[in-house]
Amino acid sequence: MEIEIQLTDRPIAEKFLSPGQPGAVGAWLEFRGVVRGEENGRTIRALEYEAYPEMAGREIRRLLQEISARHPCRAAKVIHRVGVIPAGETAIYVGVASPHRGEAIALLAEFMDRLKQDVPIWKRGARNAGLRPGANWKTAENVPGRRPALQPLSLDEARAEIRSRSRPLPAVRTPLAEALGRVLRETICAPEDLPPVDRSTRDGYAIRADDASKTFSVVDTIHAADWKPRQLESGEAVRVATGAMLPCGGLRVVMQEHVKRDGDKLHVVRRENSTNVRLRGEEVRQGQPLVSAGTKLNAGALAILATVGNVNPPVSPRLRILHFTTGDEIVTPDQTPKPGQIRDSNSILIRSLLQNFPCDVEQGHLPENFEAAMSEIAAHKPGIESAGVLLVSGGASVGEKDFTRALLEQLGFEIVFSQINLRPGRPLIFGVNGPRVAFGLPGNPLSHFVCFHFAVATALACLTGGEPPKFLRGQLAEKLDDKPCPRETLWPARLEWNDATPRLHPLAWASSGDITCLTAANALVRVPANCASLDDGAKVDFLPMAAMIGGG
Amino acid sequence: MRVLFFAQLKDATGCNAVELAAASPLNTPQLWTELLQRFPALAAHRPNVRLARNWEYAAPDAIFADNDEVALLPPVSGG
Repeated sequence: MEIEIQLTDRPIAEKFLSPGQPGAVGAWLEFRGVVRGEENGRTIRALEYEAYPEMAGREIRRLLQEISARHPCRAAKVIHRVGVIPAGETAIYVGVASPHRGEAIALLAEFMDRLKQDVPIWKRGARNAGLRPGANWKTAENVPGRRPALQPLSLDEARAEIRSRSRPLPAVRTPLAEALGRVLRETICAPEDLPPVDRSTRDGYAIRADDASKTFSVVDTIHAADWKPRQLESGEAVRVATGAMLPCGGLRVVMQEHVKRDGDKLHVVRRENSTNVRLRGEEVRQGQPLVSAGTKLNAGALAILATVGNVNPPVSPRLRILHFTTGDEIVTPDQTPKPGQIRDSNSILIRSLLQNFPCDVEQGHLPENFEAAMSEIAAHKPGIESAGVLLVSGGASVGEKDFTRALLEQLGFEIVFSQINLRPGRPLIFGVNGPRVAFGLPGNPLSHFVCFHFAVATALACLTGGEPPKFLRGQLAEKLDDKPCPRETLWPARLEWNDATPRLHPLAWASSGDITCLTAANALVRVPANCASLDDGAKVDFLPMAAMIGGG
Repeated sequence: MRVLFFAQLKDATGCNAVELAAASPLNTPQLWTELLQRFPALAAHRPNVRLARNWEYAAPDAIFADNDEVALLPPVSGG
């Protein structure tokens, strides 16, 4: 791959020639990041950029090399401008050349995301640039330690943090029989044309497509599994079965119902317009992408991989997940709770929700005493160290949040956030420790349910290298009655499809401990903050669950 | 070793770079101890700072030696 990297304090040129060797490139994709003239309602005249040039160049090169291993690329050109850049001018130019457009688009998207996390370049508003110490350096979306961990994040900010901090785990080659539900990590292309030769779609007689003869001699018979290449002359015909490989290109097949056969002689009675031939490469051309990187492998995708003989594709590893419940008031579901106790419903809830991801789950319970909890955790130490995901269900006690937070910090997790402006699920904790992520889930089952779907499922998708769940647009099927809440709400709902329109029936729930609605819930409707109610027919954003936790 | 500061860390320390004389190679906590002694204002930034050693992000167990170039990188915001 040709890589060209420049850091410059001059304006970036308007036009560049497309790079890459002619012939090897099918897509040339360019991106320009431009300084916006406005942010949050405030006018921006210019931004000032600063770089650590020696390291920025190396990081850009490293990222391109790493990402192009998954999304092939022949050439890349990256130019980042530094110094004061007026609004409307280009701050970064990226051009990538790939064999196919999908690869170029995927490469560019991932590169820009990673650049904003890892490449040592900083910007700030230029009104005071370089003049006043402490002037506001901007921190871009999704960067570590962006704000004090205790400040509540919005739902979107929280999801952005989870997406950027949950890095794809290294791919593993896995036999097809174990690959269901895993995320494919490399685009698989057709190694040859499919079908590899012309095939007959009828029982009949193959003749040259340009042969106008009425009478033919039958010179051979080809059964479904035979491979007998030969050229046909005018007046020659070959008996073929449905699915048989035709002996050469340029043939048509006359159905056996449309001929009279007399020994080796054949009289064509009728000719249809159809050639009755499935042409070589008709289904797929050699080199065409069959299954793209990032696809969650379903039955059909596995069948395609089997068709092309890709029996050990590189996929996401099976996740290892460790889940602890906490709280001294919890008893197992088979016990009768004494006054003040409740049965543990979170363990089975979490275990069941995780069934939709290829993973191994280990579960345990922690006592409320911190020292006792730490020694219990010590017993699970090897599990914690190898687990990709640690989930801690908070107890109902007052100090649960601090308890979980302290626990995660003790285990070496950096707390990314510990509050969200969301109902239910406000005290959700998210932490990272190297490649591992941890969630402290608010104790009640409805909060668990909501937090699992918008937060944990996002992390699991990102760790596996797949697409995180996305909000879709739908319509309320009935009025959603609510009292105004200063936080956003994710409201459990029943999704039904009417004439291709997703229609959402809001389900009744009174408090975050109310779980009766969960039997019917298969979607979460996003209710904006301070919104008293939404009318029947209102357009809403929602997270569908079946698509998210099912087979993809 | 030479230690570089960027973005708001320049504002916090009042300089672009500093020469740190260490009798022996330093691990990450030791490096921070040295830096915080000289620039207490860095303490507030420490949770958000990533360290680089010789133009690459440093692993948590990295050792910083006398002829290394070390950089303190606050959260980046390029593009």
